[in-house]
Amino acid sequence: MLPSLRKGLVALGVVALALPGSAEAQLRDIVAKSVSASSSGASLELGFRDDATLRVRFDDGDVILDGNVIGSYRTGDELDRAWRALLGEAMALEDGALAERLVDWSAPSSLSGGLADAARELDDAFERALRETQAPAEAETRDVDASSRNGHSLARLLVGAIGRLGALDEALSGLDEDFRIHVDEDVTVGRDEVVDASIVVIEGTLTVEGGITGDVVVVGGALDVREDGYIEGEARIADARVLRDNGEIRGGIVDVLDDERDFQDDLRDRLRDEIREELRSNLRSELREAARLEDGDSYSIMAPLRPVIRGVGGVFEKLVLVFILGLLGAGFFAFAGENVDAIAETARRTPARAAMVGFAGSFLLIPVWLLGAIVLAVSIIGIPVAIAWLPLFPLAAMLAALLGYIAVARVAGEWLADSGYPWTGWIRKSNPIVTLVGGLLGLLMAFIASHVISIAPFLGLLRGLLFALGVIVTIIAAEVGFGAVLLTRAGRRPEYPGGFDADAAWEAAMNIDVEEGLDAKHDREDQT
Amino acid sequence: MRTTMTIAAALLVPVAIQGQSWKTVTMSRQLQDNDEVRVSVDYGSGDFSVRSVDEGVLYRMNLRYDEDRFEPVADYSGRRLRLGVDAIGRNITVGRSRSGAMELELARGVPLDLDLNFGAVRADIDLGGLSLTGLSLSTGASESTIDVSEPNPLEMETAHVEAGATQFSMMGLGNLNADRIEIDAGVGEITLGLDGRWRRDSRLVIDVGVGSLELRVPEGLGIQLRKNSFLTALDSEGLVKRGDVYESPDFQDADRRVIIDLDAAFGRVSVVWTRAEHGKP
Repeated sequence: MLPSLRKGLVALGVVALALPGSAEAQLRDIVAKSVSASSSGASLELGFRDDATLRVRFDDGDVILDGNVIGSYRTGDELDRAWRALLGEAMALEDGALAERLVDWSAPSSLSGGLADAARELDDAFERALRETQAPAEAETRDVDASSRNGHSLARLLVGAIGRLGALDEALSGLDEDFRIHVDEDVTVGRDEVVDASIVVIEGTLTVEGGITGDVVVVGGALDVREDGYIEGEARIADARVLRDNGEIRGGIVDVLDDERDFQDDLRDRLRDEIREELRSNLRSELREAARLEDGDSYSIMAPLRPVIRGVGGVFEKLVLVFILGLLGAGFFAFAGENVDAIAETARRTPARAAMVGFAGSFLLIPVWLLGAIVLAVSIIGIPVAIAWLPLFPLAAMLAALLGYIAVARVAGEWLADSGYPWTGWIRKSNPIVTLVGGLLGLLMAFIASHVISIAPFLGLLRGLLFALGVIVTIIAAEVGFGAVLLTRAGRRPEYPGGFDADAAWEAAMNIDVEEGLDAKHDREDQT
Repeated sequence: MRTTMTIAAALLVPVAIQGQSWKTVTMSRQLQDNDEVRVSVDYGSGDFSVRSVDEGVLYRMNLRYDEDRFEPVADYSGRRLRLGVDAIGRNITVGRSRSGAMELELARGVPLDLDLNFGAVRADIDLGGLSLTGLSLSTGASESTIDVSEPNPLEMETAHVEAGATQFSMMGLGNLNADRIEIDAGVGEITLGLDGRWRRDSRLVIDVGVGSLELRVPEGLGIQLRKNSFLTALDSEGLVKRGDVYESPDFQDADRRVIIDLDAAFGRVSVVWTRAEHGKP
């Protein structure tokens, strides 16, 4: 008898759904709405008064309804266009008008195959979510049992709680055949009362002050076993609370949703473990890789060659740097040769003064930058200038330091050319670029030497000292150069006259203007 | 409106915006009752506007944002409404993003305790028509225009405005219906309009760091200026100095009086007299 009852309950729910006249349908209130669109998809999210939600997303080719993929689409296809058109309307509509529009929406008739299936499912989803079925007032009777006397209202109430049918089915499974069922009502078994059957309560509170000889099933409500109250059989609970005030449940409590919860917990744990293991594995392999690169602790056939590769690589890196700086220097000589001359001359004649100015300028760079920005930001006219000031000032400072370093490198090259040291004979002062390259190699020599030394074993200390020397030389050269740039206003205001000028000497000796020439001088003398 | 149009365009022309990570979203919530709601809005960069709306919604928000860097926030629970965008991860944004935008409409007639926080934005805010029980507005390096175009029907104890490095203009202060208005400005150009419908005598407390401050005072409103400044020039045309304070000539007889406590460090303060535009002072 019980299986047939269970089937009957479910069937009644289904029949009630199928009978439009038996229940009053109206559209639910939409209290919150979110419409979003991007190149990868478009989505709609609705929130209802009872905190329920409906989420539909078209996302990267998937049609997703409440988190479940129900179909697929391609960007720009007919379904995508129809969906975006609907969302375009939904954006401007609220509550009732929005609900009506969504319920009225139907899949474009021209769709076929999977697109049509997805569209139909969406259409159904809107219908289900937005049409609210309300039981008429007379259906709210409190005394419901499993007999045919009030089966219609039972069905309606079940439909109202259709989400609980699954839980009810679980709870009724294997139950004793002799029982009473109460839907949407509170039931009390009195202090002196003993019910010789099982009791099923759906969406209500069962208060036990007396005794129940059978089992108890409570779905979506509460079971309250008071003092002296007892249940001989099991208390089967589905989505319900249990209150025990010294009452007895002799058959124990069975939460019929435990399995489902356990399954979800297991799944969650398994996923968490898998993610954790994957992260751990990735981290381990990355650490291993980093350690291998850093220390080369694992054996490799290339291991003996690593210091050589590292040293040669370092030397090559410095040579590339010399090449790049040489190119930049050539550019400076070509377009701002006189400025470079003036800066180089200042660096040569007063290196200590230039270095002090350079250090002071370096310390003042950031405060000047910030103060300049603040002062400019005070006025409307200054705001655009401030916007340009923020990136351009550091750029100008870097350019000045580079220009100064190149000028100092040229001075160093000239000094090396005159020094007579071995391997400096190739530096010819007549060619400024060659002089510059020689100077750059000289300034970077400590770094290059440290790379070469690193190839040999047991010379780590010497390598470190050479590297430190290279850093010191570079800093001093940069500060002297930067100071010389500041002193000469980027070479526009020479601190000292330039070197030997052949034209000027010739003009002084011959009393002529070189540009004008000797013929012009003779003509002038003839006229005199 | 621009954001609305963008959303509509994005919905209708999906192919045109492919390859970009911009996302547009419109969110709204139906008005369910008229109890007070505490509204907190946070927006970092882009264009930002606030208006009142009378269409049965508590709020309607249109957003355009970079979905790789931000996510929208619309959280309503326990009479608290939080709106805006949150940054994803620890991205550092340099400069101002002109492409991002947020348009917010808030319900008329619902008592709102409004807290607006925005950073490097170009803000255009009209609080007219809103029923404000409190106002706290904080802005960073922005270009902000704030207007209270209609009188606030509810009394407010204190309205607090904090502006960083900014070009900041706030008009219709009288319409705020506040006992006390506090303006705390760091660096920039500040314009304050004392127009609007003053319901009672009020106090305006202004603290300016570096920059210029222009006070636009409608004729007929009695003001008393108490200045505490360091290196600040005051152009007090139309004010009479009485002891340590400057007053409008009719201050004692004026229907409505505003006492201004001004604390300024560097810059210039000027008082400009105007004809009332937001109703009688």
